[in-house]
Amino acid sequence: MSEILWEVLNHIEGFIYPNEVEVNWSVLIALYPYITGLVAGAFIVASLERVFKVEAVKPTYRLALLTALAFLLAAPLPLVAHLGHPERALEIMFTPHLTSAMAGFGFVYAWYLLIVLLLELGYDYRKDVVKWAQTATGFRGFLYRILTMGDYDISEETLKKDEKLVGIITVIGLPSAAFLHGYVGFIFGSVKANPWWSSPLMPIIFLFSAMVSGIALVLLIYMASTKLRGKEMDMECVDTLAGYLLYTYILDLGLEFMEIAHLLYTQEEGIDAILILINDKLFVSFIIIQIFFGTLIPITLLVLSKTGLFRAKVRKFFYISASLLTLIGVFAMRWNVVIGGQILSKTFRGYGYYIMPLFGPESLTLALAIMVLPFILLAIFVKLLPPWDEPPLWMKTERRYD
Amino acid sequence: MRKIHIRVAMVYITAAILFLIIRSFVVPPTFGEYDWYRGDSVREIMELPPQHANATVCKDCHSERYDLWSGGAHSTVSCESCHGPSYSHTKDPIIVSANVDNSREFCGLCHAQNPSRPADFPQIDMDTHGNGNLCVVCHNPHSPWVFGGE
Repeated sequence: MSEILWEVLNHIEGFIYPNEVEVNWSVLIALYPYITGLVAGAFIVASLERVFKVEAVKPTYRLALLTALAFLLAAPLPLVAHLGHPERALEIMFTPHLTSAMAGFGFVYAWYLLIVLLLELGYDYRKDVVKWAQTATGFRGFLYRILTMGDYDISEETLKKDEKLVGIITVIGLPSAAFLHGYVGFIFGSVKANPWWSSPLMPIIFLFSAMVSGIALVLLIYMASTKLRGKEMDMECVDTLAGYLLYTYILDLGLEFMEIAHLLYTQEEGIDAILILINDKLFVSFIIIQIFFGTLIPITLLVLSKTGLFRAKVRKFFYISASLLTLIGVFAMRWNVVIGGQILSKTFRGYGYYIMPLFGPESLTLALAIMVLPFILLAIFVKLLPPWDEPPLWMKTERRYD
Repeated sequence: MRKIHIRVAMVYITAAILFLIIRSFVVPPTFGEYDWYRGDSVREIMELPPQHANATVCKDCHSERYDLWSGGAHSTVSCESCHGPSYSHTKDPIIVSANVDNSREFCGLCHAQNPSRPADFPQIDMDTHGNGNLCVVCHNPHSPWVFGGE
Protein backbone atom coordinates (compact mmCIF):
# COMPACT_ATOMS: atom_id res chain seq x y z
CA MET A 1 0.00 0.00 0.00
CA SER A 2 2.75 2.45 0.92
CA GLU A 3 4.38 1.98 -2.52
CA ILE A 4 1.09 3.04 -4.08
CA LEU A 5 0.97 6.12 -1.85
CA TRP A 6 4.49 7.10 -2.94
CA GLU A 7 3.38 6.67 -6.54
CA VAL A 8 0.26 8.74 -5.82
CA LEU A 9 2.44 11.56 -4.48
CA ASN A 10 3.99 11.89 -7.95
CA HIS A 11 0.56 12.57 -9.48
CA ILE A 12 -0.85 14.99 -6.94
CA GLU A 13 -1.47 18.46 -8.27
CA GLY A 14 -1.66 21.77 -6.43
CA PHE A 15 -2.28 21.96 -2.69
CA ILE A 16 -4.12 19.20 -0.89
CA TYR A 17 -4.48 18.33 2.77
CA PRO A 18 -2.16 15.58 4.06
CA ASN A 19 -5.04 13.19 4.79
CA GLU A 20 -6.26 13.45 1.20
CA VAL A 21 -3.26 11.65 -0.29
CA GLU A 22 -4.90 8.28 0.28
CA VAL A 23 -8.24 7.79 -1.46
CA ASN A 24 -9.94 5.81 1.28
CA TRP A 25 -13.15 4.95 -0.54
CA SER A 26 -11.81 2.70 -3.25
CA VAL A 27 -13.30 0.88 -6.23
CA LEU A 28 -15.21 -1.32 -3.76
CA ILE A 29 -17.19 1.66 -2.53
CA ALA A 30 -18.01 2.54 -6.13
CA LEU A 31 -19.14 -1.05 -6.63
CA TYR A 32 -21.39 -1.03 -3.57
CA PRO A 33 -23.94 1.57 -4.79
CA TYR A 34 -23.67 -0.02 -8.24
CA ILE A 35 -24.80 -3.42 -6.96
CA THR A 36 -27.54 -2.02 -4.70
CA GLY A 37 -28.69 0.04 -7.66
CA LEU A 38 -28.99 -3.08 -9.78
CA VAL A 39 -31.08 -4.66 -7.01
CA ALA A 40 -33.44 -1.70 -6.81
CA GLY A 41 -33.66 -1.45 -10.59
CA ALA A 42 -34.36 -5.15 -11.06
CA PHE A 43 -37.10 -5.00 -8.44
CA ILE A 44 -38.69 -2.05 -10.16
CA VAL A 45 -38.76 -4.08 -13.40
CA ALA A 46 -40.57 -6.83 -11.49
CA SER A 47 -43.06 -4.32 -10.16
CA LEU A 48 -43.90 -3.16 -13.69
CA GLU A 49 -45.85 -6.35 -14.22
CA ARG A 50 -47.23 -6.72 -10.69
CA VAL A 51 -48.21 -3.20 -9.76
CA PHE A 52 -48.43 -1.34 -13.04
CA LYS A 53 -49.92 -4.30 -14.92
CA VAL A 54 -47.53 -4.07 -17.87
CA GLU A 55 -48.38 -7.53 -19.17
CA ALA A 56 -45.77 -7.39 -21.93
CA VAL A 57 -42.88 -7.70 -19.47
CA LYS A 58 -44.34 -10.74 -17.72
CA PRO A 59 -41.59 -13.10 -19.01
CA THR A 60 -39.06 -11.08 -17.02
CA TYR A 61 -41.02 -10.82 -13.76
CA ARG A 62 -39.56 -13.80 -11.93
CA LEU A 63 -36.18 -13.41 -13.57
CA ALA A 64 -36.06 -9.83 -12.31
CA LEU A 65 -36.94 -10.96 -8.77
CA LEU A 66 -34.24 -13.65 -8.78
CA THR A 67 -31.76 -11.13 -10.20
CA ALA A 68 -32.65 -8.71 -7.40
CA LEU A 69 -32.13 -11.47 -4.82
CA ALA A 70 -28.78 -12.60 -6.27
CA PHE A 71 -27.43 -9.06 -6.36
CA LEU A 72 -28.89 -8.19 -2.96
CA LEU A 73 -27.00 -11.09 -1.37
CA ALA A 74 -23.77 -9.76 -2.87
CA ALA A 75 -24.52 -6.09 -2.05
CA PRO A 76 -22.91 -5.94 1.42
CA LEU A 77 -19.75 -7.76 0.28
CA PRO A 78 -17.93 -4.69 -1.09
CA LEU A 79 -18.53 -2.94 2.24
CA VAL A 80 -17.45 -5.93 4.30
CA ALA A 81 -14.33 -6.39 2.13
CA HIS A 82 -13.56 -2.68 2.34
CA LEU A 83 -13.90 -2.48 6.12
CA GLY A 84 -11.81 -5.61 6.55
CA HIS A 85 -13.47 -6.95 9.69
CA PRO A 86 -16.23 -9.31 8.60
CA GLU A 87 -16.65 -10.52 12.18
CA ARG A 88 -17.89 -7.04 13.11
CA ALA A 89 -20.38 -6.79 10.26
CA LEU A 90 -23.38 -7.74 12.38
CA GLU A 91 -22.61 -5.19 15.07
CA ILE A 92 -24.65 -2.57 13.22
CA MET A 93 -27.60 -4.88 13.85
CA PHE A 94 -26.70 -5.82 17.42
CA THR A 95 -26.13 -2.25 18.60
CA PRO A 96 -28.27 -0.19 16.24
CA HIS A 97 -27.18 3.39 15.94
CA LEU A 98 -30.18 5.27 14.68
CA THR A 99 -28.39 8.51 13.92
CA SER A 100 -25.96 6.90 11.48
CA ALA A 101 -27.13 6.80 7.87
CA MET A 102 -24.56 4.10 7.14
CA ALA A 103 -25.86 1.90 9.99
CA GLY A 104 -29.34 2.41 8.60
CA PHE A 105 -28.24 0.23 5.70
CA GLY A 106 -28.38 -2.84 7.94
CA PHE A 107 -32.06 -2.29 8.64
CA VAL A 108 -33.07 -1.25 5.17
CA TYR A 109 -31.20 -4.27 3.81
CA ALA A 110 -32.72 -6.71 6.30
CA TRP A 111 -36.21 -5.36 5.70
CA TYR A 112 -35.82 -5.54 1.95
CA LEU A 113 -34.33 -9.02 1.94
CA LEU A 114 -36.49 -10.67 4.59
CA ILE A 115 -39.82 -8.93 4.28
CA VAL A 116 -39.95 -7.90 0.64
CA LEU A 117 -37.90 -10.18 -1.60
CA LEU A 118 -38.05 -13.53 0.18
CA LEU A 119 -41.77 -13.23 0.94
CA GLU A 120 -42.61 -12.11 -2.56
CA LEU A 121 -40.58 -14.91 -4.12
CA GLY A 122 -41.96 -17.43 -1.62
CA TYR A 123 -45.61 -16.65 -2.28
CA ASP A 124 -45.15 -16.16 -6.01
CA TYR A 125 -43.39 -19.51 -6.46
CA ARG A 126 -45.67 -21.36 -4.03
CA LYS A 127 -47.72 -23.21 -6.61
CA ASP A 128 -44.65 -24.33 -8.54
CA VAL A 129 -42.76 -25.24 -5.39
CA VAL A 130 -45.65 -27.44 -4.21
CA LYS A 131 -45.77 -29.16 -7.60
CA TRP A 132 -41.99 -29.60 -7.67
CA ALA A 133 -42.06 -30.95 -4.11
CA GLN A 134 -44.51 -33.58 -5.22
CA THR A 135 -42.50 -34.69 -8.22
CA ALA A 136 -38.81 -33.96 -7.65
CA THR A 137 -36.60 -36.38 -5.76
CA GLY A 138 -33.24 -36.26 -4.02
CA PHE A 139 -31.79 -32.98 -2.76
CA ARG A 140 -34.06 -30.90 -4.95
CA GLY A 141 -37.16 -32.65 -3.68
CA PHE A 142 -35.95 -32.19 -0.11
CA LEU A 143 -35.36 -28.49 -0.72
CA TYR A 144 -38.76 -27.97 -2.31
CA ARG A 145 -40.48 -29.85 0.51
CA ILE A 146 -38.82 -27.49 3.02
CA LEU A 147 -39.88 -24.50 0.93
CA THR A 148 -43.52 -25.63 0.94
CA MET A 149 -43.43 -25.42 4.77
CA GLY A 150 -45.80 -28.33 4.86
CA ASP A 151 -48.65 -26.48 3.16
CA TYR A 152 -49.62 -28.21 -0.07
CA ASP A 153 -52.92 -26.36 -0.52
CA ILE A 154 -52.86 -24.96 -4.05
CA SER A 155 -56.56 -24.68 -4.65
CA GLU A 156 -57.79 -21.95 -6.96
CA GLU A 157 -58.97 -19.90 -3.99
CA THR A 158 -55.67 -19.99 -2.06
CA LEU A 159 -53.68 -19.19 -5.20
CA LYS A 160 -55.87 -16.14 -5.72
CA LYS A 161 -55.13 -15.06 -2.16
CA ASP A 162 -51.41 -15.62 -2.76
CA GLU A 163 -51.63 -13.48 -5.87
CA LYS A 164 -53.23 -10.68 -3.87
CA LEU A 165 -50.61 -10.97 -1.13
CA VAL A 166 -47.76 -10.79 -3.66
CA GLY A 167 -49.38 -7.65 -5.08
CA ILE A 168 -49.43 -6.07 -1.60
CA ILE A 169 -45.81 -7.06 -0.95
CA THR A 170 -44.75 -5.52 -4.27
CA VAL A 171 -46.52 -2.28 -3.39
CA ILE A 172 -44.62 -2.23 -0.07
CA GLY A 173 -41.48 -3.29 -1.94
CA LEU A 174 -41.50 -0.35 -4.33
CA PRO A 175 -40.83 2.35 -1.73
CA SER A 176 -38.49 -0.08 0.03
CA ALA A 177 -36.44 -0.50 -3.16
CA ALA A 178 -36.45 3.27 -3.61
CA PHE A 179 -35.36 3.69 0.00
CA LEU A 180 -32.66 1.01 -0.29
CA HIS A 181 -30.97 2.83 -3.09
CA GLY A 182 -32.04 6.39 -2.36
CA TYR A 183 -30.29 6.19 0.99
CA VAL A 184 -26.94 5.46 -0.70
CA GLY A 185 -27.34 8.73 -2.58
CA PHE A 186 -28.50 10.32 0.68
CA ILE A 187 -25.17 9.44 2.32
CA PHE A 188 -23.17 11.13 -0.43
CA GLY A 189 -25.61 14.03 -0.69
CA SER A 190 -25.24 14.67 3.04
CA VAL A 191 -21.49 15.28 2.92
CA LYS A 192 -21.95 19.03 2.97
CA ALA A 193 -18.21 19.81 2.92
CA ASN A 194 -17.88 18.33 -0.55
CA PRO A 195 -19.59 20.36 -3.29
CA TRP A 196 -19.31 17.46 -5.76
CA TRP A 197 -21.51 15.35 -3.47
CA SER A 198 -23.55 17.73 -1.38
CA SER A 199 -26.91 17.97 -3.11
CA PRO A 200 -30.45 17.05 -2.15
CA LEU A 201 -30.81 15.76 -5.73
CA MET A 202 -28.29 13.04 -5.05
CA PRO A 203 -30.72 10.35 -3.72
CA ILE A 204 -33.04 10.89 -6.70
CA ILE A 205 -30.19 10.81 -9.21
CA PHE A 206 -28.94 7.59 -7.63
CA LEU A 207 -32.43 6.13 -7.74
CA PHE A 208 -33.00 6.91 -11.39
CA SER A 209 -29.60 5.65 -12.44
CA ALA A 210 -30.38 2.53 -10.41
CA MET A 211 -33.59 2.05 -12.37
CA VAL A 212 -31.71 2.57 -15.62
CA SER A 213 -29.03 0.01 -14.71
CA GLY A 214 -31.55 -2.48 -13.30
CA ILE A 215 -33.72 -2.40 -16.43
CA ALA A 216 -30.62 -2.77 -18.61
CA LEU A 217 -29.39 -5.69 -16.53
CA VAL A 218 -32.71 -7.56 -16.62
CA LEU A 219 -33.03 -6.87 -20.35
CA LEU A 220 -29.55 -8.21 -20.97
CA ILE A 221 -29.99 -11.27 -18.74
CA TYR A 222 -33.34 -12.03 -20.36
CA MET A 223 -31.87 -11.78 -23.87
CA ALA A 224 -28.79 -13.81 -22.94
CA SER A 225 -30.83 -16.49 -21.15
CA THR A 226 -33.27 -16.99 -24.03
CA LYS A 227 -30.32 -17.28 -26.39
CA LEU A 228 -28.55 -19.74 -24.10
CA ARG A 229 -31.70 -21.85 -23.76
CA GLY A 230 -32.24 -21.73 -27.51
CA LYS A 231 -35.72 -20.25 -27.08
CA GLU A 232 -37.57 -17.66 -29.10
CA MET A 233 -37.20 -14.16 -27.68
CA ASP A 234 -40.46 -12.41 -26.81
CA MET A 235 -39.91 -9.26 -28.87
CA GLU A 236 -42.89 -7.46 -27.35
CA CYS A 237 -41.38 -7.94 -23.92
CA VAL A 238 -37.93 -6.83 -25.06
CA ASP A 239 -39.32 -3.79 -26.92
CA THR A 240 -41.42 -2.76 -23.91
CA LEU A 241 -38.50 -3.11 -21.50
CA ALA A 242 -36.28 -1.13 -23.88
CA GLY A 243 -39.00 1.53 -24.01
CA TYR A 244 -38.98 1.81 -20.21
CA LEU A 245 -35.19 1.94 -20.30
CA LEU A 246 -35.38 4.88 -22.69
CA TYR A 247 -37.96 6.81 -20.62
CA THR A 248 -36.07 6.27 -17.39
CA TYR A 249 -32.86 7.24 -19.14
CA ILE A 250 -34.34 10.52 -20.33
CA LEU A 251 -35.48 11.33 -16.78
CA ASP A 252 -32.07 10.33 -15.42
CA LEU A 253 -30.30 12.51 -17.97
CA GLY A 254 -32.61 15.39 -17.08
CA LEU A 255 -31.76 15.03 -13.40
CA GLU A 256 -28.03 14.86 -14.10
CA PHE A 257 -28.34 17.95 -16.26
CA MET A 258 -30.25 19.75 -13.50
CA GLU A 259 -27.52 18.88 -11.00
CA ILE A 260 -24.74 20.23 -13.23
CA ALA A 261 -26.83 23.27 -14.20
CA HIS A 262 -27.43 24.00 -10.51
CA LEU A 263 -23.71 23.77 -9.80
CA LEU A 264 -22.91 26.10 -12.68
CA TYR A 265 -25.67 28.56 -11.90
CA THR A 266 -25.10 28.92 -8.16
CA GLN A 267 -21.32 29.24 -8.66
CA GLU A 268 -20.74 28.22 -5.09
CA GLU A 269 -17.32 27.96 -3.52
CA GLY A 270 -15.31 25.30 -5.30
CA ILE A 271 -16.99 25.65 -8.69
CA ASP A 272 -13.66 26.39 -10.40
CA ALA A 273 -12.19 23.26 -8.89
CA ILE A 274 -15.25 21.25 -10.02
CA LEU A 275 -14.94 22.54 -13.58
CA ILE A 276 -11.33 21.35 -13.72
CA LEU A 277 -12.46 18.07 -12.16
CA ILE A 278 -15.01 17.55 -14.94
CA ASN A 279 -12.96 18.88 -17.84
CA ASP A 280 -9.62 17.40 -16.91
CA LYS A 281 -9.43 14.93 -14.03
CA LEU A 282 -12.62 13.02 -14.82
CA PHE A 283 -12.73 13.82 -18.52
CA VAL A 284 -12.44 10.20 -19.66
CA SER A 285 -14.66 8.59 -17.02
CA PHE A 286 -17.27 11.39 -16.91
CA ILE A 287 -17.50 13.04 -20.34
CA ILE A 288 -16.37 10.14 -22.53
CA ILE A 289 -17.58 7.03 -20.69
CA GLN A 290 -20.50 8.19 -18.53
CA ILE A 291 -22.05 10.88 -20.71
CA PHE A 292 -21.07 9.92 -24.27
CA PHE A 293 -20.77 6.13 -24.33
CA GLY A 294 -22.86 5.46 -21.23
CA THR A 295 -25.78 7.81 -21.84
CA LEU A 296 -25.98 9.50 -25.24
CA ILE A 297 -25.19 6.45 -27.38
CA PRO A 298 -27.62 4.12 -25.54
CA ILE A 299 -30.36 6.79 -25.73
CA THR A 300 -29.68 7.21 -29.47
CA LEU A 301 -29.81 3.44 -30.03
CA LEU A 302 -33.04 3.15 -28.04
CA VAL A 303 -34.62 6.07 -29.92
CA LEU A 304 -33.57 4.49 -33.23
CA SER A 305 -35.21 1.22 -32.17
CA LYS A 306 -38.41 3.12 -31.43
CA THR A 307 -38.62 4.56 -34.95
CA GLY A 308 -39.89 1.26 -36.35
CA LEU A 309 -37.33 1.39 -39.16
CA PHE A 310 -35.35 -1.56 -37.94
CA ARG A 311 -36.04 -5.28 -38.03
CA ALA A 312 -36.13 -7.35 -34.88
CA LYS A 313 -32.61 -8.66 -35.45
CA VAL A 314 -31.17 -5.14 -35.65
CA ARG A 315 -33.21 -4.02 -32.67
CA LYS A 316 -31.83 -6.92 -30.63
CA PHE A 317 -28.33 -5.78 -31.49
CA PHE A 318 -29.25 -2.23 -30.49
CA TYR A 319 -30.70 -3.41 -27.18
CA ILE A 320 -27.68 -5.55 -26.32
CA SER A 321 -25.31 -2.68 -27.13
CA ALA A 322 -27.45 -0.12 -25.29
CA SER A 323 -27.76 -2.36 -22.21
CA LEU A 324 -24.03 -3.11 -22.06
CA LEU A 325 -23.13 0.55 -22.52
CA THR A 326 -25.72 1.51 -19.89
CA LEU A 327 -24.22 -0.89 -17.36
CA ILE A 328 -20.75 0.51 -18.04
CA GLY A 329 -22.05 4.09 -17.98
CA VAL A 330 -23.85 3.68 -14.65
CA PHE A 331 -20.75 2.13 -13.11
CA ALA A 332 -18.80 5.13 -14.43
CA MET A 333 -21.36 7.37 -12.70
CA ARG A 334 -20.73 5.61 -9.35
CA TRP A 335 -16.99 5.83 -9.98
CA ASN A 336 -17.16 9.54 -10.78
CA VAL A 337 -19.17 10.26 -7.66
CA VAL A 338 -17.09 8.15 -5.28
CA ILE A 339 -13.58 8.62 -6.65
CA GLY A 340 -14.21 12.08 -8.14
CA GLY A 341 -15.45 13.38 -4.80
CA GLN A 342 -12.28 12.26 -3.13
CA ILE A 343 -9.69 13.46 -5.61
CA LEU A 344 -11.27 16.92 -5.37
CA SER A 345 -9.33 18.41 -2.47
CA LYS A 346 -11.18 20.34 0.24
CA THR A 347 -8.66 23.10 -0.38
CA PHE A 348 -10.26 23.57 -3.85
CA ARG A 349 -6.69 24.28 -4.90
CA GLY A 350 -5.47 20.81 -5.71
CA TYR A 351 -6.33 17.26 -6.74
CA GLY A 352 -5.48 13.89 -5.36
CA TYR A 353 -4.97 10.80 -7.46
CA TYR A 354 -6.41 7.31 -7.32
CA ILE A 355 -4.42 4.23 -8.27
CA MET A 356 -6.38 0.98 -8.27
CA PRO A 357 -4.17 -2.01 -7.42
CA LEU A 358 -4.62 -5.13 -9.54
CA PHE A 359 -4.41 -7.59 -6.66
CA GLY A 360 -4.93 -7.61 -2.91
CA PRO A 361 -7.49 -5.82 -0.76
CA GLU A 362 -9.39 -2.98 -2.45
CA SER A 363 -8.18 -4.22 -5.83
CA LEU A 364 -9.59 -4.65 -9.30
CA THR A 365 -9.58 -8.45 -9.02
CA LEU A 366 -11.50 -8.39 -5.74
CA ALA A 367 -14.05 -6.00 -7.25
CA LEU A 368 -14.41 -8.25 -10.30
CA ALA A 369 -14.79 -11.34 -8.10
CA ILE A 370 -17.57 -9.63 -6.12
CA MET A 371 -19.22 -8.55 -9.35
CA VAL A 372 -19.14 -12.10 -10.77
CA LEU A 373 -20.61 -13.63 -7.62
CA PRO A 374 -24.23 -12.47 -8.15
CA PHE A 375 -24.21 -14.03 -11.62
CA ILE A 376 -23.15 -17.36 -10.10
CA LEU A 377 -25.86 -17.01 -7.45
CA LEU A 378 -28.39 -16.16 -10.15
CA ALA A 379 -27.41 -19.25 -12.15
CA ILE A 380 -28.00 -21.40 -9.05
CA PHE A 381 -31.35 -19.71 -8.29
CA VAL A 382 -32.48 -20.09 -11.89
CA LYS A 383 -31.54 -23.77 -11.78
CA LEU A 384 -33.46 -24.34 -8.55
CA LEU A 385 -36.38 -22.03 -9.23
CA PRO A 386 -36.77 -21.82 -13.02
CA PRO A 387 -38.40 -18.46 -13.76
CA TRP A 388 -39.38 -19.26 -17.32
CA ASP A 389 -42.85 -19.08 -18.72
CA GLU A 390 -42.64 -22.43 -20.51
CA PRO A 391 -44.23 -25.48 -18.95
CA PRO A 392 -42.27 -26.12 -15.78
CA LEU A 393 -40.70 -29.42 -14.80
CA TRP A 394 -43.73 -30.62 -12.86
CA MET A 395 -46.01 -30.10 -15.84
CA LYS A 396 -43.65 -32.11 -18.02
CA THR A 397 -43.56 -34.85 -15.42
CA GLU A 398 -47.34 -34.86 -15.14
CA ARG A 399 -47.53 -35.19 -18.88
CA ARG A 400 -45.08 -38.06 -18.77
CA TYR A 401 -47.34 -39.89 -16.35
CA ASP A 402 -50.46 -39.21 -18.44
CA MET B 1 -55.45 -18.16 9.20
CA ARG B 2 -53.81 -20.36 6.59
CA LYS B 3 -51.19 -22.90 7.60
CA ILE B 4 -48.53 -21.30 5.37
CA HIS B 5 -48.97 -17.84 6.97
CA ILE B 6 -48.64 -19.27 10.47
CA ARG B 7 -45.51 -21.24 9.50
CA VAL B 8 -43.90 -18.24 7.76
CA ALA B 9 -44.66 -16.12 10.82
CA MET B 10 -43.18 -18.85 13.05
CA VAL B 11 -39.96 -18.88 10.99
CA TYR B 12 -39.61 -15.11 11.31
CA ILE B 13 -40.44 -15.09 15.02
CA THR B 14 -37.93 -17.91 15.65
CA ALA B 15 -35.29 -16.00 13.69
CA ALA B 16 -36.03 -12.84 15.70
CA ILE B 17 -35.80 -14.74 19.01
CA LEU B 18 -32.56 -16.38 17.87
CA PHE B 19 -31.22 -12.96 16.95
CA LEU B 20 -32.10 -11.59 20.40
CA ILE B 21 -30.49 -14.59 22.13
CA ILE B 22 -27.24 -14.17 20.13
CA ARG B 23 -27.39 -10.43 20.78
CA SER B 24 -27.63 -11.00 24.54
CA PHE B 25 -24.32 -12.93 24.36
CA VAL B 26 -22.52 -10.69 21.92
CA VAL B 27 -23.35 -7.22 23.25
CA PRO B 28 -21.50 -6.46 26.51
CA PRO B 29 -23.90 -5.85 29.42
CA THR B 30 -22.54 -2.38 30.14
CA PHE B 31 -22.86 -1.24 26.52
CA GLY B 32 -24.68 2.09 26.39
CA GLU B 33 -24.24 2.83 30.12
CA TYR B 34 -22.77 6.22 29.24
CA ASP B 35 -22.91 6.39 25.47
CA TRP B 36 -22.22 4.27 22.39
CA TYR B 37 -19.53 2.14 24.01
CA ARG B 38 -18.96 -0.39 26.76
CA GLY B 39 -19.38 1.31 30.15
CA ASP B 40 -16.78 -1.00 31.70
CA SER B 41 -14.14 0.33 29.34
CA VAL B 42 -14.20 3.66 31.24
CA ARG B 43 -13.52 1.89 34.53
CA GLU B 44 -10.81 -0.28 32.93
CA ILE B 45 -9.08 2.78 31.52
CA MET B 46 -9.32 4.56 34.88
CA GLU B 47 -7.52 1.63 36.50
CA LEU B 48 -4.59 1.75 34.08
CA PRO B 49 -1.33 3.04 35.64
CA PRO B 50 -0.65 6.67 34.69
CA GLN B 51 1.95 7.21 31.99
CA HIS B 52 2.50 10.94 32.08
CA ALA B 53 3.92 13.41 34.54
CA ASN B 54 3.83 17.14 33.70
CA ALA B 55 6.17 20.12 33.62
CA THR B 56 5.58 21.10 37.27
CA VAL B 57 6.65 17.61 38.37
CA CYS B 58 9.79 17.93 36.21
CA LYS B 59 10.48 21.29 37.85
CA ASP B 60 10.80 19.64 41.28
CA CYS B 61 14.16 18.17 40.26
CA HIS B 62 15.17 20.11 37.14
CA SER B 63 14.40 23.71 38.13
CA GLU B 64 17.31 25.22 36.13
CA ARG B 65 16.13 23.44 32.93
CA TYR B 66 12.55 24.44 33.73
CA ASP B 67 13.53 28.14 34.00
CA LEU B 68 15.43 28.01 30.72
CA TRP B 69 12.56 26.19 28.97
CA SER B 70 9.73 28.35 30.34
CA GLY B 71 11.40 31.54 29.14
CA GLY B 72 12.32 30.22 25.68
CA ALA B 73 10.73 29.57 22.31
CA HIS B 74 10.02 25.93 23.20
CA SER B 75 7.85 26.85 26.21
CA THR B 76 4.75 25.72 24.30
CA VAL B 77 6.23 22.24 23.84
CA SER B 78 5.76 20.08 26.92
CA CYS B 79 8.73 18.21 28.45
CA GLU B 80 7.14 14.89 27.51
CA SER B 81 6.77 15.86 23.85
CA CYS B 82 10.49 15.19 23.49
CA HIS B 83 11.31 13.11 26.55
CA GLY B 84 8.32 10.79 26.27
CA PRO B 85 5.90 9.69 29.01
CA SER B 86 7.75 10.35 32.25
CA TYR B 87 5.57 9.11 35.10
CA SER B 88 7.75 6.03 35.66
CA HIS B 89 10.88 8.24 35.56
CA THR B 90 9.51 10.41 38.38
CA LYS B 91 8.87 7.27 40.43
CA ASP B 92 12.34 5.85 39.88
CA PRO B 93 14.69 8.36 38.22
CA ILE B 94 17.78 6.17 38.57
CA ILE B 95 16.42 3.05 36.89
CA VAL B 96 14.16 4.80 34.33
CA SER B 97 15.93 7.58 32.50
CA ALA B 98 14.14 10.33 30.59
CA ASN B 99 16.61 10.36 27.74
CA VAL B 100 15.72 11.99 24.48
CA ASP B 101 16.60 11.33 20.87
CA ASN B 102 18.94 14.17 19.91
CA SER B 103 19.35 13.26 16.24
CA ARG B 104 18.87 15.77 13.42
CA GLU B 105 15.90 13.73 12.18
CA PHE B 106 14.15 14.08 15.52
CA CYS B 107 14.36 17.89 15.42
CA GLY B 108 13.38 17.70 11.75
CA LEU B 109 10.05 16.19 12.72
CA CYS B 110 8.95 19.73 13.56
CA HIS B 111 11.53 21.92 11.84
CA ALA B 112 12.19 20.34 8.43
CA GLN B 113 11.08 22.55 5.56
CA ASN B 114 7.47 21.70 4.70
CA PRO B 115 5.09 23.86 2.64
CA SER B 116 2.12 22.80 4.73
CA ARG B 117 3.62 24.47 7.83
CA PRO B 118 2.88 28.13 8.59
CA ALA B 119 5.41 30.36 6.82
CA ASP B 120 6.53 32.04 10.06
CA PHE B 121 7.26 28.71 11.77
CA PRO B 122 11.03 28.10 12.04
CA GLN B 123 11.92 25.63 9.29
CA ILE B 124 15.28 24.61 7.89
CA ASP B 125 16.65 22.86 4.85
CA MET B 126 17.75 19.61 6.46
CA ASP B 127 20.36 18.98 3.76
CA THR B 128 22.31 22.21 4.15
CA HIS B 129 21.53 23.73 7.55
CA GLY B 130 24.21 23.12 10.19
CA ASN B 131 26.50 21.18 7.84
CA GLY B 132 25.18 17.86 9.07
CA ASN B 133 26.05 18.51 12.73
CA LEU B 134 23.67 17.57 15.49
CA CYS B 135 21.27 20.45 16.14
CA VAL B 136 22.12 20.43 19.84
CA VAL B 137 25.76 21.33 19.02
CA CYS B 138 24.56 24.88 18.40
CA HIS B 139 21.00 25.12 19.78
CA ASN B 140 20.00 24.51 23.35
CA PRO B 141 16.88 22.33 22.93
CA HIS B 142 15.28 23.79 26.08
CA SER B 143 15.55 27.27 24.62
CA PRO B 144 16.64 27.06 20.98
CA TRP B 145 17.71 30.67 20.59
CA VAL B 146 20.26 30.17 23.33
CA PHE B 147 23.32 29.10 21.39
CA GLY B 148 26.20 26.99 22.54
CA GLY B 149 24.36 23.71 22.83
CA GLU B 150 23.23 21.87 25.92
